[in-house]
Amino acid sequence: MHDFVALEGLGIPTMFVVSSEFADAVDAQARALGYAAIPAVYVPHPIQDRTDDEMRALADQAWLTAPVSA
Amino acid sequence: MPERVALAPAPPAGAGLPADGLVAVVKRDCPTCRLIAPVLAQLGPGLVVYSQDDPAFPAGLADVRDDTGLDVSVALGIETVPTLLRFGGGTEVGRTEGWLREAWEELAGVAGLGTGLPEYRPGCGSLTHDLEVADELLVRARGGSLAARRLEIAALEDEAEALFERGFTDGLPVVAPTPARVLRMLQGTTREPGEVVAVVPPNLAGATVEKVAINAVLAGCRPEYLPVVLAAVEAASTDEFNAHGLLATTWGAAPAIIVNGPVARALGMNGGGNALGQGNRANATIGRALQLVIRNVGGGRPGEVDRATLGHPGKIGFCFAEDEAGSPWEPLAVARGIAPGTSAVTVFAAEGPRGVVDQISRTPDSLARSLAAGLRAVAHPKLALAFDATLVVCPEHGRVFAQAGWSRGRLAAELAELLLLEPAEIVRGAGGIAEGIPAGAARGPVPKFRPDGLMIAYAGGGAGMFSTVIGGWVGGPGGSRPVSREVGS
Repeated sequence: MHDFVALEGLGIPTMFVVSSEFADAVDAQARALGYAAIPAVYVPHPIQDRTDDEMRALADQAWLTAPVSA
Repeated sequence: MPERVALAPAPPAGAGLPADGLVAVVKRDCPTCRLIAPVLAQLGPGLVVYSQDDPAFPAGLADVRDDTGLDVSVALGIETVPTLLRFGGGTEVGRTEGWLREAWEELAGVAGLGTGLPEYRPGCGSLTHDLEVADELLVRARGGSLAARRLEIAALEDEAEALFERGFTDGLPVVAPTPARVLRMLQGTTREPGEVVAVVPPNLAGATVEKVAINAVLAGCRPEYLPVVLAAVEAASTDEFNAHGLLATTWGAAPAIIVNGPVARALGMNGGGNALGQGNRANATIGRALQLVIRNVGGGRPGEVDRATLGHPGKIGFCFAEDEAGSPWEPLAVARGIAPGTSAVTVFAAEGPRGVVDQISRTPDSLARSLAAGLRAVAHPKLALAFDATLVVCPEHGRVFAQAGWSRGRLAAELAELLLLEPAEIVRGAGGIAEGIPAGAARGPVPKFRPDGLMIAYAGGGAGMFSTVIGGWVGGPGGSRPVSREVGS
């Protein structure tokens, strides 16, 4: 999140990819850093034990369907 | 009981004090003051009396002044009432405390004082030393030096409940950080309240000495613990330690502190029996203060940026001293580059401790194998170069190594040798367990820990052949490395 702030500060459009379990962490850190919301793509949890193919499928699904907030 | 503190050089002392003559400071509440009231009348109209609690006492004297604000008493450094002082040429030339006829007669230059009275009566404590009054005086003298926003708690609010509801606690009750308590805490350090000690993750908020002091009060620290807390906050806020990552990981480890050097003894810290447990105020509150700084200054709260899947009870606070006096080895901090005789903290990522039983081994080789077996389970028995760990060697295990002449370095080297894991045993699927290292990732034996990834400390009670493994977190870049810092003043 600090990287997001730093990159945006340099004028580089930035967004955040994270699994859905971390939504409240994103909210808390965004608020602490002075943002009402941060553009983020939430992929469905779980991810840690997924295979590479399953991860690709999750990414494709997220790309097509996940809500993007800005 | 709160610490009594020395007050700053105080208010306008000269105001109204006679350049030459006698001054008495009294309070009605003091039996000795009431006893010697007639003596004051014998000292004549030039006497100036300051009354701490009742401007109408003693009655019938020409010049009784109201010192219920205690400004003159503070300025004169009154410890006891009654105090009789003589001024000459604008400065104090003598004083006597309590009632001692001979001393009063000599100081006043008057014979036959209080002839009906006993020769001697001790005085009473000055009202400036009444604890509540002392707090008021402290806040009056120095409250302006505090920068923190003031929170008002309504008279009908319960203090502990109010602090919990405002989110300042770790779930346990905290001590209310009143201005007086924070000022007393700040007496524990020579550092200026406004000095920024560290930039605390996850919000990267600047922690001033004052902010750390507030959290030390919340945690229940005594003022003399503050320099240790400050050093721990500095150490935990380094990039090397990476408190942000440690907090945000779903793994449950958290910062723990080992204290070395004279300060551990001075604060009465526990490095002996139950060193990692409850019951020692310094151990318990210093660790807690660090966690409260991360929570209240850094903004690291469970359910927000703190993502621990389970966490562990030591996340309330985890701090202990090394038993340097009993240790066969140099202090941990010295082994880590701190000068001998220097007080220091070492902050490291810590899970909950887990004991390793070996009540049979009499040789260092056998005992090292037991400890290695316990250490192998850190993170997972089939994972290598994954997480760091700390081994706390207990005295009865330390004895075995000491008798065999094993240094800390020798033990570390032997453990590293014993913890070279064969790829066939730890590859994914081996032993019917999917977890492990990817096939082909290692051609030869793999070290369990990265170099310097195993820290060895010495603590514990004299009985019990139970050392303890404290698992850590990912070591090295991207993870967390232990950080040692000297404790300042």
